[in-house]
Order: sequence, then C-alpha cells, then structure tokens
Amino acid sequence: MNRWRTNTGCLAASLCAALLAGCIQAVPQELVDAIETIDRDLIALRAPEIAADDYARFVRQWVPLKARVQSEDDLIRWPWEANHLEADLRRLHEEGGQAVARLSDRRTLQRQAVESKLARVEERLQMMASHVEAIEGRIVLGGKPVQTDLLMKQARTFFDQQDYNRSLLAAEQADQALIAQAAVLSRELGRYADEERIARWQAQAKQTIEWSRHQHSTAIVVSKADRVLTLYKNGRPVLTHPVRLGFNGMREKQYSGDGATPEGRYRVTAKRGQGQTQFYRALVLDYPNAEDRRRFEQAKKAGRIPSAKGIGGQIEIHGNENELMAQTLGCVMLDNAHMAALFERVEPGTPVTIVGALTGQNSVAYALAQLTHREEDT
Amino acid sequence: MKIVQMLGSVAVAALLVSGCAKPPTEQVAAAEKAVLEAQQSGATMYAAQDYAKLEGALAAIKSEVTEQDGKFALLRDYGKAEQLATSTKADAERVKADAIKKKEEAKVGALQAHQVAQDAVKATLDLVAKAPVGKDRAAVEAIKSDVEALKASLNQVQLAIDKEDYLSAQTQSKAIQEKSQAVSAEIQNALAKVGKGKPSAAKKK
Repeated sequence: MNRWRTNTGCLAASLCAALLAGCIQAVPQELVDAIETIDRDLIALRAPEIAADDYARFVRQWVPLKARVQSEDDLIRWPWEANHLEADLRRLHEEGGQAVARLSDRRTLQRQAVESKLARVEERLQMMASHVEAIEGRIVLGGKPVQTDLLMKQARTFFDQQDYNRSLLAAEQADQALIAQAAVLSRELGRYADEERIARWQAQAKQTIEWSRHQHSTAIVVSKADRVLTLYKNGRPVLTHPVRLGFNGMREKQYSGDGATPEGRYRVTAKRGQGQTQFYRALVLDYPNAEDRRRFEQAKKAGRIPSAKGIGGQIEIHGNENELMAQTLGCVMLDNAHMAALFERVEPGTPVTIVGALTGQNSVAYALAQLTHREEDT
Repeated sequence: MKIVQMLGSVAVAALLVSGCAKPPTEQVAAAEKAVLEAQQSGATMYAAQDYAKLEGALAAIKSEVTEQDGKFALLRDYGKAEQLATSTKADAERVKADAIKKKEEAKVGALQAHQVAQDAVKATLDLVAKAPVGKDRAAVEAIKSDVEALKASLNQVQLAIDKEDYLSAQTQSKAIQEKSQAVSAEIQNALAKVGKGKPSAAKKK
C-alpha cells in the first residue's frame, strides 16, 4: 500500500513537472520589443505628422494591446490554449512593418521631391540675380531679393531638419517671390522690349544722326541698354565709348534723386573744363527740357511722383572723380581718357539723344525674355 | 411556495443589479479633458509623437467601451477601459508638462535667435551709416534696400513669436542673421574699396 502511494506520488510529481515544463509565457518578449521598434521607426519617419491616419490606426491597436501585455505579464498558459493576444500582436507587427516600409518609401520620395524643388528654385534665384546684375536692375527690385533669399535659407534649414513640408512651403513661397520679381522687372523695364517704344527711340537716334549729316556737325547718341555713347560727325560714327549710368539708370528719370538717367533729346549747354567740375571734364545738358517738364507735371498730377519731389537737374556727360568710386547719380559717365577725347570734339549746342535701346535685341529685353520664359516653365 | 418564488425573484433581481457593470464615464471624461489640455498646451507641435499616442489611446478607450456596451449586460466588463482611461489621463498630464517645457525652451530659443538677428541687422545698419553717400551709389542704394528688407523681416519674426510659432521664428531669425552678415561683409568690401577715395557731396540730379 505504501509502495503504491509512493509510486502514485512520483507519477503525479512527474506529470506536474512535465506539464509545468510544457507551459509557456503568454507573449514572447521579442515580439513586444519588435513592435516597440516599429513604433520608434514610425516616429523617426514623422508618421504622426505626415501620415496621421496610418499612425493613429497603429496607435489605436498598440495602446490597448500594450496594456493587455502589461496586465498579462505574469501569466503563463498551457501549450494547447489559443493565445489571442499573441495573434493580435503578430497581426499588428505585420501591419506596422508594412506601414514603416510604406512610409519609408514615401519619405524618400518626398525628400527627393523637395530636394529637387530646392535645386530648381536656387537655380532660378541665381539666374535672376545674374540677369538683374547684368541689367543693373537691383534697385528696381527694392527689398524683394532679400525677402526671397531669406525664404530660401529657411527652406534649406527646414530641409536639414528633415521638416520637408515646411521646406517645400518656404521653397514655393520663394518661387512665387521670384515670379513677382520678374513681374516687377517686366513692369518697370518692359519698355526695353516694347517694339513701339524701340521704334520711337530708333527714330529719335536717326533724326539726331541725320541732323549731324545735314549740319556737317557733331551729335551724340547714348544707348542705355548697351551702355554705349557714340559721337557722330557728318552723320558718321567717329567715337564709341562705354558709359556708366545713374545708380538706378535703367529706369526712366522721374524726379530729383531717383538715380535714373533721363531719356530724350537734349543739347550741350556748357562745357566745364579742368577746375570747373569735380568730374574731370563735363558737358552740361539742358535737362529738364520742355518735354521733361510736361511729363513731370503729368506724373505729379496723376500721383505717380511724391508731391515733395522736384524734377532734378544738372545732368551731364562727365568723367570720373575717382576711379574707385566711379558711379553717377543720373548722369552719363565715361572713363577720363574717353571723356578727354569727347570733350575736345564737342561744342555747346551739340545735340545729345539718350535712348533706352536701339534694337529689340538689347540686354534688358533678353533678360526679361529669359525670366518670363522661366516663369512659364514653373 | 409563493414565498420561495418571491425570494428567488428578489435574489435574481439583486444579482442582475449588482452584476450590471457601469461604463467608466467619469474616468473617460477626465482622460478626454486631460488630452484636450495637452493639445491646448501645444503638444501637437512640441510633443507631436506623444500626443498622437494620446489620441490613439482615446480612440482605443472609446472602442473598448463600445465593445463592452454591445455585450449582454451581465457579461460587460469595463475594467480595461477604466484602466486605460486612468493611464491615458496620467500620460496626458505628463505630455502636457513636457509640451509646456519644450514650448518654453523653443520660446527662449526663438527670443535669443531674434535678439541675435536684431543685433546683426543693427550692426549692418551701423555699417550702412558709414557707407559713402556721394558716389558708388548703386551698391550703397542696393545695400540700403537690403537692410530695409532685413529690418522688415525682423517684424515677421516678431509676428511668428506672437503667434507662438517659435520654430518658424528661429529659422527666420537664423536666415536674417546669415543674410545680415553677408550684407555687412559686402559693405566692408565697399568701404575698403572707397575708403581710398574721397567722397563728394551729393548734388541735385
């Protein structure tokens, strides 16, 4: 009887041991860790911002499952018992893994798209800067280039911070600002591409040259777009020199201090030699003439000119005061050697015609065409 | 017999009443309130990931309550929902505190960056004042336009700070500081160039 009891006890103990050995933990820890990793990956991919719905779906499942894992942490189960929690976790692991892969691809595509956009806008920015410099139109644009530059710097900073949405937004704003700059240039300098205006300038220059031929005298024609002064004698060009204009020279002069160089038909009213001018030698022009005064009054009446502004004056063709500070406020300036040659051949009364451009293929028209073309590409 | 039946009915009724679990309405409301407060403290911007988890937790609580509501009254168990609501409330309070801290840090960072940008623009303005007014006007006038635009941009930074968009304020300030330094370098070059010459008085043109 005792032996039977002992055997039965041993058998029961063995059975218990076998059964206990067969028991397994409710949820494998590595599965929980893997889902934690997926959560971290989704966060690193900025899922809450760029794929809020996907992340919300993941979190809606993960939060209660995690709570269940924590509440059933100490549980063990028999091998033959179904483990719904583990099944749910495995399903979430699979879905989460797919979401990470999907978002990773999407993020790569987004980064590439933003990088490409940044490169395109930066290229346009450089092209705009180079055209504006070429036509000396920086003043025309005022503070716009700085605003655009700041937007692009912001776009780059956001890109470096991997905040692609904000980077793209800033780059698009910069792109729009570039289009606005091109529009300002077209509005302010569009006359350089206006066939009617160019025809009028051509006619003015032709009349001046004809006058030189008929009068067997000298006459001067200045083309602002080409930045060239040509001296004619008997209707034939005898001198051609590069010139510099006012700091805002490409614009049509409107009032005193605007830095623009006037356009129109003038005459030399006086010659100022050594000791009479601070600019080496100077030929004084009769700006403002009657046409300038009429235009000024009209513009003032229309409110296009501030009421306190005057029409200006003392427009000259002159040399340099100092090579290092060679810039004029609205005159036409030559190098001193060229000025000396011109000064010798010109007398008071010589007609001086200043035009915007002599052909449709001028530097300003070319720059505007390039910028407009790019705008259409956008 | 009637007494036995009556006692039986009372016992069943008592069992039903005591066995009917009630949804944790108060706890859920408290969790929702805490999540809303976290959102209002700026968690969507300054603790976006944690806030997303809170929203997920709220959705999970509602889902759990709905699931239990759909069960036979005696089988309803709102224990999980209650536990989740309690932990979500605690998490939301932590996220709110975290968001407030990060927002404050971002604010300090934005204010510092704004100050640095202001100093940089002021230094550039001081340099512009030294620039010659007589000649080399194209460069000087262009630089003046640039500095005016930089000054105007400082107002944009202030607007971003006022709107509590401290991240934008910081990037704007950084851009202004960099641009100011570039403009200052341009002026220094111009000054070095014209410093050798003698500026002339402005004249009517």
